[in-house]
Amino acid sequence: MKTPIRLAILGCGAITRSEHIPAVTAHPGVELIALVDAELSRAEGLIRNRGLSCQAIADYHEILSQVDAIINALPNHLHLISNQECLGAGLHVLCEKPLAITAADARSSTELAEQKKLVLAVGMNRRFAASHPLLKLIMEDGLLGTVQDYDFQYGGAFDWRSASGFYFDRAKAGGGALMDFGVHMLDSVLDWFGPVSAFDYQDDDWGSGIEANVLLDVKHKGPFGEIPGHLQISRTFSLKNRLLVRGSAATAEISVNDPEVVVVHRPLAGVPVSHTLQLENFPGAKSYYRQLDNFVNSIVHGSKPEVDGWQAVRTLELVENCYARKRRIAEPWAEIGTARKEARA
Amino acid sequence: MNWRDQTVFVTGATGFIGGRVSERLVQAGVPKVRALVHSMHRAARIARLPVELCPGDLMDRESLRTALGDAKIVIHCGLGPAGSIVRGTENMLAVAHAAGVERFIHISTAAVYGITPPPGSETEDAPLRRTGDAYCDNKAAAEKVVLDYGKRGLPVVILRPSIVWGPYSAWNTRLMDDLRAGHVAFIEGGRGACNTTYVDNLMDAIVLGLENDAALNQAFFVTDGERVCWGDFIHAHMALMKPAPEVGDVSRAEIEASRGKTSGLLMGSVKATVRVARSKEFRQMLMEVPATEAAMKKVWTWLNSLPPEKRERLRTRLGVRRPAAQPAQPKFIPDPVTVATQSTTVFFSIEKARKVLGYEPRIHFADGMKLVEQWMRFAAYL
Repeated sequence: MKTPIRLAILGCGAITRSEHIPAVTAHPGVELIALVDAELSRAEGLIRNRGLSCQAIADYHEILSQVDAIINALPNHLHLISNQECLGAGLHVLCEKPLAITAADARSSTELAEQKKLVLAVGMNRRFAASHPLLKLIMEDGLLGTVQDYDFQYGGAFDWRSASGFYFDRAKAGGGALMDFGVHMLDSVLDWFGPVSAFDYQDDDWGSGIEANVLLDVKHKGPFGEIPGHLQISRTFSLKNRLLVRGSAATAEISVNDPEVVVVHRPLAGVPVSHTLQLENFPGAKSYYRQLDNFVNSIVHGSKPEVDGWQAVRTLELVENCYARKRRIAEPWAEIGTARKEARA
Repeated sequence: MNWRDQTVFVTGATGFIGGRVSERLVQAGVPKVRALVHSMHRAARIARLPVELCPGDLMDRESLRTALGDAKIVIHCGLGPAGSIVRGTENMLAVAHAAGVERFIHISTAAVYGITPPPGSETEDAPLRRTGDAYCDNKAAAEKVVLDYGKRGLPVVILRPSIVWGPYSAWNTRLMDDLRAGHVAFIEGGRGACNTTYVDNLMDAIVLGLENDAALNQAFFVTDGERVCWGDFIHAHMALMKPAPEVGDVSRAEIEASRGKTSGLLMGSVKATVRVARSKEFRQMLMEVPATEAAMKKVWTWLNSLPPEKRERLRTRLGVRRPAAQPAQPKFIPDPVTVATQSTTVFFSIEKARKVLGYEPRIHFADGMKLVEQWMRFAAYL
């Protein structure tokens, strides 16, 4: 297929406003044909505010014959049906994470894309930060010595102003902190350290299915052998927001807020030093632009995207296994009420 | 009426007190909790509970009618926009009254007597006077509206907690941040009355207010019933930190001298406001108040839009120091609001709550601090 790729964006919520539109308007290989939102005024307002010249459409079915590809930024529960209809109509799809809210649904979309020979890419933008491939190189090169374990923390007061507020509805979001930001973290560690062979999962869901805090211990079996890892996610507290990979000779650190570099800490003649590594000749654009660029290249060259549907299936299977075997995080400070008479017998 | 079998409606549910109230209601096995949510993105803590998140706004009666649903019990922890505490409360009362609500617990504050309650305000029969502070005066005015509705037949109970603390409380987290930044002093030896109210003690009082008809149309102070001073409160937090931070003493004379030396009352309060506004916890608290959100956002957008050198000039002029580049300072002088808060000699009496409600604080200060410490470790404050 030749560029420009004719593109529609489905869903005009927070991620479209902040990331997809800037990426799409900057990319020479795509032509934005339409913004689609069930609330038409949202699409119209965005077109007006950003000075775009595309159409505003309320129902994506109307646009299927006019475009080559879509970016799917609808709420999670709508990914499955819209992806399948778009793939069915012969369109390439870049879908925001999670690809679906169950692994089985993600699998069926992935199979459909394969059958139709279409690109189905999943929006794991963190894979397109320079630190992702760089950490892989650092570990493969042996700079850390033998890789021993990792600690990955991400947390802050939840502040995602989604237009629809779907994220606190289990049926629409598919889960809480693990399904939301956790899939980014799991996708990364699965790519670096290989499949998970054992895990212990805890969260603070009291019955809504929308956990705010997650503690996950995993064991990978992969290219660096058996690697234990600890992940912590919070929607209520600020955590250290970084990944530490400890090796026998050095420790690598990636800050969630500065994912373009990897800082390596190690002793030099017994004195602790750190050096910041970055990839040379790495495009300076934002990760969402690189993600779009990868999607466009996959369409043009008929190649596999960096994050395809099967990788999303792998991540969602782990998420489902975690939810299926969850334990409640102990919150002794919150158990005080049950000691009093109001507790039901 | 047994509240355990009822649908309970909680306002302010995304805040610290309302969040804990929602948790305790769930733990008590209440069949349905309806939580009023103004800003959905602030609801992460309560979204993990099996409660119904009901979008609505205290300024919009129609939305309150929908959100209230079939609830016959209201626990009103919400504030509404800072300048509209009274109207927000009145809207909630009107909707509750029209819906035939059978119990309305109004979470007021001991600060109806001011930021520095004067001697004589130890008991609930002390008359309310204007204090000149917008929050205090509005909360006092809101109480009057609540009592008016009480006279009209809405079964109301007013609770007046003071320094409500515990897991998630900004009183605790902000103090930790301030201790780390070296922004804490013992004012007059830390002798000021702190009037702590552990959040679960407050919840116990709420439950008693629901159960006790003798409580109707009355206001009750609710504290931990211990004579905890600000020095005790600060020391307890210092003990959580390793190494323990150094905190100096500051006398009233030094505070006054420092205010005279700098830029007078106006500049002093501007500085204080900036310093308070810069604290993350306070901003978070404010953001729960919808009108403030827009205003603060504008201020921050404006501040951030300034070129760095201009921002730096503004910082210098306002005396706002960057924690990292702070030069050695002979003595830290707390801002006027902190001084006022920590200067009262009044310990509120909980005798009325004891007698009428049967209230007895269950969590003592030392035990509460242990729970706070456990929570702080989990929440990465320690």
